[in-house]
Amino acid sequence: MTPVLSIQDLVLCHDKGFRLSIDQLDLRPGQIYALTGPNGSGKSTLLRIMALLSLPQQGRVCFGGAEPANHTEQRQKVTLVEQSPYLFQGTVAENLFYGLRLRRIEKEEQHRRIKLMLSIVGLEGFEQRLAKELSGGEIQRVALARALVFKPDLLLLDEPTANIDSNSLQAFEALLSKLPRYGVTVVFSTHDLSQSARLGTELLQIENGRLINRTKSESNYTNVNRRSNADG
Amino acid sequence: MGYLADSFISAVGMIFSFNREVQLAVWTSLYTSSCSIALAALLGIPAGLWLGTRQFRGRRLMITLLNTLMALPTVVVGLVLFGLFSRQGPLGSLGLLFTPLAMIAGQTVLATPIVANYVLSAVSGSDRRILDTALTLGATHIQACTQLLKEIRFGVMAAVIAGFGRVIAEVGVAMMLGGNIRGTTRTMTTAIALETSKGEFAFGLSLGIVLLAVALLVNLFLNFLQQR
Repeated sequence: MTPVLSIQDLVLCHDKGFRLSIDQLDLRPGQIYALTGPNGSGKSTLLRIMALLSLPQQGRVCFGGAEPANHTEQRQKVTLVEQSPYLFQGTVAENLFYGLRLRRIEKEEQHRRIKLMLSIVGLEGFEQRLAKELSGGEIQRVALARALVFKPDLLLLDEPTANIDSNSLQAFEALLSKLPRYGVTVVFSTHDLSQSARLGTELLQIENGRLINRTKSESNYTNVNRRSNADG
Repeated sequence: MGYLADSFISAVGMIFSFNREVQLAVWTSLYTSSCSIALAALLGIPAGLWLGTRQFRGRRLMITLLNTLMALPTVVVGLVLFGLFSRQGPLGSLGLLFTPLAMIAGQTVLATPIVANYVLSAVSGSDRRILDTALTLGATHIQACTQLLKEIRFGVMAAVIAGFGRVIAEVGVAMMLGGNIRGTTRTMTTAIALETSKGEFAFGLSLGIVLLAVALLVNLFLNFLQQR
């Protein structure tokens, strides 16, 4: 199966002496990947490269087996939700409309998707709320809804649960675990190894800018689903 | 004190009697200033955005140059453009000297660095995540910059207001390139200078009051937009 994203011989050096170097990394479609590692190990930098927001000095970043000829076109299929996401001024709905308008989705479909997505992230009726009035957790969820509403092929999340309280955490993880069913490949960075074990079908460990380990683990959510299916 | 009070009363009387001379000067000022600020916005906003969002060699030098251009003396701009537009000058064949077009050109030169600098400051002070967020949601660089402009619209409005303030209040360019011709190139500021030198203090004062009223109206408009 052609990887949704593959990285070969990538090198990116920052002015401050940091060097990210990945020899080979393939991401298969419809999988969840957990990116773990200490602070400053290069997780966010790698996610930014995957999102085509930073360009490496060397190496190849291929999507669907080929290097993107047009970065804007490719960015329509890949999206990054940062650790502290920025919501545009205006309402929650206006934030969600943004990506849909860029993709020229029909008006009625835009409204339908926004309503559905807000209910999925547990923010029903938030359409007309002003972005500046939201709490940290709500901002995170709106940013996730804004990214998911246009159905990206690859969803990149930089420490997505850092601002989420424990009540919302479970719902968030359950939502994340469902995304591969809809063909979305997810890469999320986290410091929480138990979370990566709960969600990550593959654990990517990064240290000092190098990918040091790849471990496969089965998602607890998958196990729960299987168990409930067997019980049913 | 009596002289000032009498002049003030007489100035207010001129405004409310819709004195033809006052009307012509106000119209010429508003017309030339509006055209020049529109042109300055067209040039200055993209320039400020470009300098604020791109990293390239010589950027610092360009910013220093822009800061210097902000302090351009109006008579120097007037002098240089006079040289260009005068009959012996390279653009003399266009016959622009002593026309409103020449004034608009000069005022555009004055206002563009101000608009560009204010926009650059607004971009530099804006949240760094705005552009990345727009890009990662699928925007082109131009669409992302448009979104950035929306987010910093008050800074952009302040840029336009500052540029407008500069051109509506200047005398040098209007005098040197317009020639202070009654009915065509006589603005509020050149009329104030001329009439006061002729001893028509009340007339000058009436135009001064209108000039202040225009500044007040522009600021009220800005406040109205900010509150929306």
